[in-house]
Amino acid sequence: MPGDRGRAPEETDAPLPHEDALLVVRAAEGDDEAFEALVHRHAPVLLRLATRLLGSPTEAEDAVQEAFVSAWRKLPEFRGDARFGTWMHRIVTNRCLNVLRSRPPVTALDSVPEPQAPEHQVSPARAAEAHAAVRDLSRAIEGLSPEQRVCWVLRELDGVPYESIAETVGISQEAVRGRVFRARRYLTEAMAGWR
Amino acid sequence: MAMNEGGTPGGAAFGDVPDEETLPCGRELAQVWEQAETGEPDPHTADCPHCAEALRALRTLEGVVARARADEPQERQWDTAALAGRVMDVVRLELRPGRTLALGEPDEDAWIVEAAAARTFRAAVDALPGVRAGSCRIETAVVNAASGASAPPAGRLPRGPARVRIEVQVGLSWNLQLVADEVRGRIVEAADGELGMRVAAVDVVVADLLDEDEEDREDQEDQEDQEDQEDQEDQEDQEDREDREAEEADEVEGGQR
Repeated sequence: MPGDRGRAPEETDAPLPHEDALLVVRAAEGDDEAFEALVHRHAPVLLRLATRLLGSPTEAEDAVQEAFVSAWRKLPEFRGDARFGTWMHRIVTNRCLNVLRSRPPVTALDSVPEPQAPEHQVSPARAAEAHAAVRDLSRAIEGLSPEQRVCWVLRELDGVPYESIAETVGISQEAVRGRVFRARRYLTEAMAGWR
Repeated sequence: MAMNEGGTPGGAAFGDVPDEETLPCGRELAQVWEQAETGEPDPHTADCPHCAEALRALRTLEGVVARARADEPQERQWDTAALAGRVMDVVRLELRPGRTLALGEPDEDAWIVEAAAARTFRAAVDALPGVRAGSCRIETAVVNAASGASAPPAGRLPRGPARVRIEVQVGLSWNLQLVADEVRGRIVEAADGELGMRVAAVDVVVADLLDEDEEDREDQEDQEDQEDQEDQEDQEDQEDREDREAEEADEVEGGQR
């Protein structure tokens, strides 16, 4: 898309900023209907983000729900320096990071993917093979640290530029690059069998 | 999460990810991948089997990632109704209705919360074509403050005619003086007809000018409205300045109503 700044292509469906700004002002002044409109406009993008970050649609719904409630509470102080969508993206990301951090550590057995899996499939249908690869990837992602996972998902699945990830997570751009690299390193190893 | 930054416990095959890794050809793996990401051409990489192998690993991963993305439900398929319902259940327990305003005559004891009155005024203004209401604050004009009127209960404004300050986004085709008058008229009408509230003054602030064609365009990108604003500023620098003067004039004039 023209003027691409690293965002995922589907972001073109993003709600109109003018309309958002208006709804934000109204909601900040206590108009709950305006806030409800904001929830409807932004929930799909945020649910997808949270599902990517957490790998579980149920947990993602909880995280997005809590993020919206906390946004309602903080709205009177929201100065509109950032767009509402950007602000929510940040709140959801950080909430998901906390969820990931609070998860019990996965055991090696659960987390270590089996790269030799494809060898058992002599001549599987192409679709089934692709499906199995995606499943292996999902399992491999569980083996990343919460910090690696968040940086990698934002970069590779959400298409967020490094500098924006750094801002969102509150670390340096170099640290983000390092985490994305280590995540890639880990995942390429895990997916070696599919080469 | 000590175990996690490096990977799996015990340094299993996949867990130990070094911060740096040098390929047999002497190149840093991180550098090779970063070059691939930025599309920077490198004659070495083109011929080097080690770099090629490293890139193949990255491409394999990218292929599966692309597939995973394609398998995700489309944005419109997310069911957000249930989620929105749960969010609003909590929000409605934590409403911010604002202060309470008096309606009608002193003996009526009728009141309305600021948020509800503001919603009524915004709706009245939104009914004008090409006009959208934003911030709407309501104060009571101080009447005979010193003259023995008993202080209102906490959270209630003193009884008296209201002073409304409303911000509007206005389509470019509007004459700003005209739109300010129209907005003022709608608010006074709604206050009188729908709420039974006396309004002493309406301050109209044109907070934004809207390019009405914008909503028809398909490629709504993040930066677009910024560009639009810049365009407007370029084309209508002069007019813009007049607008601001008009806004100020509106505020002054509003006080006379």
